[in-house]
Amino acid sequence: MAERRELIKGNIDSLLLSLIGREPMYGYQILKDLEQKSEGYFRFKEGTLYPALHRLEKVGLIVSKWEGLPSGRLRRYSSITEKGARLLAMKRSQWADFATAMNRIIQPAPA
Amino acid sequence: MARVVGRYLDDIDDHLSLDVADRREIIRELETHIEDRVFEMKQAGLSEEEATKACLDLFGSARLVARQIYEAHSQGTWWQALLASMPHLLFGLIFALNWWQGIGWVAIALTVVIGAAIYGWGHGRPMWLFPWLGYSLIPVIVAGVLMIYLPRGWSWLAIVVYVPLALWLVCAVALQTIRRDWLLSALALLPVPAMIAWFVTMGNGGPVLGASLDQVRLSARWIGLSFMTLAFTAVAFVRLRQRWLRVAVLFASGLTTLLMVTYAGGKLDFLSFLGLILIVVGLLLVPALIDKRIRSRRPRAAAGSD
Repeated sequence: MAERRELIKGNIDSLLLSLIGREPMYGYQILKDLEQKSEGYFRFKEGTLYPALHRLEKVGLIVSKWEGLPSGRLRRYSSITEKGARLLAMKRSQWADFATAMNRIIQPAPA
Repeated sequence: MARVVGRYLDDIDDHLSLDVADRREIIRELETHIEDRVFEMKQAGLSEEEATKACLDLFGSARLVARQIYEAHSQGTWWQALLASMPHLLFGLIFALNWWQGIGWVAIALTVVIGAAIYGWGHGRPMWLFPWLGYSLIPVIVAGVLMIYLPRGWSWLAIVVYVPLALWLVCAVALQTIRRDWLLSALALLPVPAMIAWFVTMGNGGPVLGASLDQVRLSARWIGLSFMTLAFTAVAFVRLRQRWLRVAVLFASGLTTLLMVTYAGGKLDFLSFLGLILIVVGLLLVPALIDKRIRSRRPRAAAGSD
């Protein structure tokens, strides 16, 4: 469990940018989407999500604005910036290279 | 249950130490999240009380959440760090290059300082403003001291008009700054211990204005160096995220400049040194205590019913 937490911690920016890069989302929606898409593997605590979102916003990778839901309630939607999209593309490419290399090594050799 | 959520959000708000507008935005965002989570849990069959408790447990400690969000917001850019160091560098250069004797240079420096402080104050009070703010209040205080030398019959002007006005200005600026974050007040007051220490040393135990110009001339490079130390402190302060590290940097900077004054001036006895250390600690503690008092009087959002 602790290992998984460390893995998530190290990749939190990539995870958030990937989701927000698809469509503008608000905090609770991100949490649910992450849980759903990873089939429960990624469970963020709210106390982890918001500091991470604010950090990404501070460095200009995402921008946020208040928008109304169909119910009339307001939610703070975050969307990816150009700078964020460039970083996400770089992270995706790094991840693909890493996963390919890792798979070559970690998979058992064919009998 | 609204009161439980309100108390939790108040607790986060108390520990955010950010601009009021930012704090409001953050609290509102967290509140909408809690609303959604509690609603979902109630749909799943939990009572309002159980849902609220479970939701706040998921959020974790209010202090921790506040600290992490503060750290996400608090770090300034290198550009801001450079701007924050500029007033210290400016005064450091004036002494190091012996320009302090030219009234023109000092007047230019003070105009730049006051101009930058007014600009920053009117443009969202960014973190780089506070060192400028500290220096811009010095002429206000010095002018008050100089009024002692006004011709007879004019002192009433100082007592009736200038002193209350100056006190009001200094207190208003200090309170506004403390409301934002008491650490920023400490950053603004950073040059005060060094200045007092240099005055005490130069005054040779006599009155402040009896300072020997020769002594200032002899120690000018050291005075310049002590301002440079403050410039490095301002850079470190802006770039650091953690509050405890910022406090440590401010304290270390106060101590370093006092050691410099003792070494270069050579006239600070142990008691004066101790007194100046107390001033350094006081400049850190007094804004913190005022902040605590302000926060305890702040109207609470937790006014809803359980």
